[in-house]
Amino acid sequence: MTSAQTLDLRTRAARKPFYFNTSAHLLRIGRERATTLGELLQALRTCSEDSIFQHTFRTLEEHHFIREGFSNDFAHWAFSACNEPGLAERLAGVDVREFTSVEAVRERIVHIVDAYIQSNPRAGERVAREPFYFCASDTVILPTAFVAHNLPEFADGMARVSVHSIHHHFIEARLRLKLTSNDFSLWLEEEMEMKKAARRVDHIDIYTATLEDVRRQAIRIIELALQ
Amino acid sequence: METKRQQVVEVTRSPKPLPSEIKSAPLAPEPVKRENRSRERRNRPRVPDTPPAPPPPPRLSDYETIVGGAELDELRFVARDLRGKTMKMVNSTAVGGGVAEMLNRLVPLLTELEVSTHWDVITGGNDFFEITKAFHNALHGGDYHLTKQVQEIFMMYNEQNRQRMHFDEDLVVIHDPQPAALINARNGAHARWVWRCHIDLSNPNSEVWGFLRPMIEKFDAAIFSSPTFARKLSVPQYLFYPCIDPLSEKNKDLDDSIVQKTCDDFGIDRSRPIVTQVSRFDRLKDPVGVVHAYKMAKKYVDCQLVLAGGGASDDPEGAVVLQEVTEAAGDDPDIIILNLPPWCALEINALQRASTLVVQKSLREGFGLTVTEALWKGKPTIASAVGGIPNQVIHKLTGALVHSVEGCAYQIRYLLTHPEFAQKLGKNGREHVKENFLMTTNVKRWLLLFRIMLQKNGS
Repeated sequence: MTSAQTLDLRTRAARKPFYFNTSAHLLRIGRERATTLGELLQALRTCSEDSIFQHTFRTLEEHHFIREGFSNDFAHWAFSACNEPGLAERLAGVDVREFTSVEAVRERIVHIVDAYIQSNPRAGERVAREPFYFCASDTVILPTAFVAHNLPEFADGMARVSVHSIHHHFIEARLRLKLTSNDFSLWLEEEMEMKKAARRVDHIDIYTATLEDVRRQAIRIIELALQ
Repeated sequence: METKRQQVVEVTRSPKPLPSEIKSAPLAPEPVKRENRSRERRNRPRVPDTPPAPPPPPRLSDYETIVGGAELDELRFVARDLRGKTMKMVNSTAVGGGVAEMLNRLVPLLTELEVSTHWDVITGGNDFFEITKAFHNALHGGDYHLTKQVQEIFMMYNEQNRQRMHFDEDLVVIHDPQPAALINARNGAHARWVWRCHIDLSNPNSEVWGFLRPMIEKFDAAIFSSPTFARKLSVPQYLFYPCIDPLSEKNKDLDDSIVQKTCDDFGIDRSRPIVTQVSRFDRLKDPVGVVHAYKMAKKYVDCQLVLAGGGASDDPEGAVVLQEVTEAAGDDPDIIILNLPPWCALEINALQRASTLVVQKSLREGFGLTVTEALWKGKPTIASAVGGIPNQVIHKLTGALVHSVEGCAYQIRYLLTHPEFAQKLGKNGREHVKENFLMTTNVKRWLLLFRIMLQKNGS
């Protein structure tokens, strides 16, 4: 990138500023609970979308500091309480970024558990070491003090918001956008015409990185573009 | 042959003889030659004789270095729409106990956020509090026969408090069963009423729960500390994990000189691994099991065991348990048993910080705030998979969950010989607490609940 292009990137004003928002969640204890994989399957089919969201998207936020071995609550329970590593691996492979609706996540998880029980009928009835309690969350969207009108402000805001804001824009966003992308990449592409950087940000692996890592990597991508 | 006894460092308010005078039996020769200076000093620990004056409650800005400015900004944004709204907290005691401790910190912080919060304490005679103590035990699963007379006394005191109190606030929060019947003060006005249950209702006495349940279902919502503690109810149930205050005496950062001094006073050698359990001398905390686990581990790894707690001075059963622990410890000079008064928060803080590993091998547990405290200090923690502990300790990610003495012994050996893995558990554990179990998170939960309740009310 030439120095003129870099200067242009530094000073280019976005038509639409980026408003950093965040979400706050209050956990509700659900009515469903499962003591076997069979009961889990039944509850997965009938529980609210909020519950599926909680145990897949939201749990990533609650455990954002863990780099490995934690992807969603269903996988964790299958491993730690049911001693079914094969099922746990399959469930852990569900990447929420591939989905633009919670219903689609539910279908995928139901399919995995159903198929596993079909091929391992005894596993469906074996009592787990501890029950799985379905929870859900009530969500409140909040503004933050940060607004970006250009790329340096965007990087600065990203560095200063909470990890909840990073989760809101980077992970939850796809449910809002109905796109397999995120708010950061969309803004970089549409407002800054930085397709390559947008793609690189979108490819940050949330299952091997913490949300702080996501923040650092995204800022690094922007800084590289600005050099 | 004379039975050799373990030293117990005992610090009590009453002018009892020093431990060196009452525990005069000789100690066994040490397996490894070490300086005896530390053991001598253990005899005269310097801890305060009386409770220190409580420090002023922290202000919101005091938490900035701990949770970051962005987190505090989020609290202010959540609170912004609640300005001018009022909340009332009602419980049964102003001092002592976890609920009062939490409210002492929570109420000033909510008020600082311009959510005016009043705290009222119910009153009652001895007969009332004897009944509510019996209810407490019964709700934990104890046997109890609920008579009509008991019900009448319970309702009478609640009615007296109802007549004395005013309920003009937008949100009324009733803590625990004692004031539950105040719900009868609800008069159809706009206020929302929430019941905050701090106790484990997973296996309640059916008579007591059958009596309380119709009252609870008159509230707009109930709050529990863990999904495992909840009951099926007709009202929404929210999950509020208990929390610790990172600025309290028990959890604030300490200068290493304080940690060193505490260890010197208690005769703990910081150059060698220290395994610690902090808890009352209570069978449900299984201190004897911890001694056995330590002894099994000690065959393979060098370490000291610190059992620090209280309850042996004012509780006859505690004294018996302390005796059992002392006997189980035998003549091992590396087992340090500390019977501390309840105001030794700073000393407990220092002991936790000095520890290489922290153990909580309870047989039954509430939420297990001693685990939260250890995790917050970044300590690799080994804890039983009981009560609320699995909410905090995610096996091999934020700590090690165990189910037996043998499992505990193995994890002591493993973590002492794999310090990098142990350090990773400690780091994750601290982050887990920061995200989920700190006072600031608790403030956010209350604010969110208030907003959600008002939305449901159409306000």
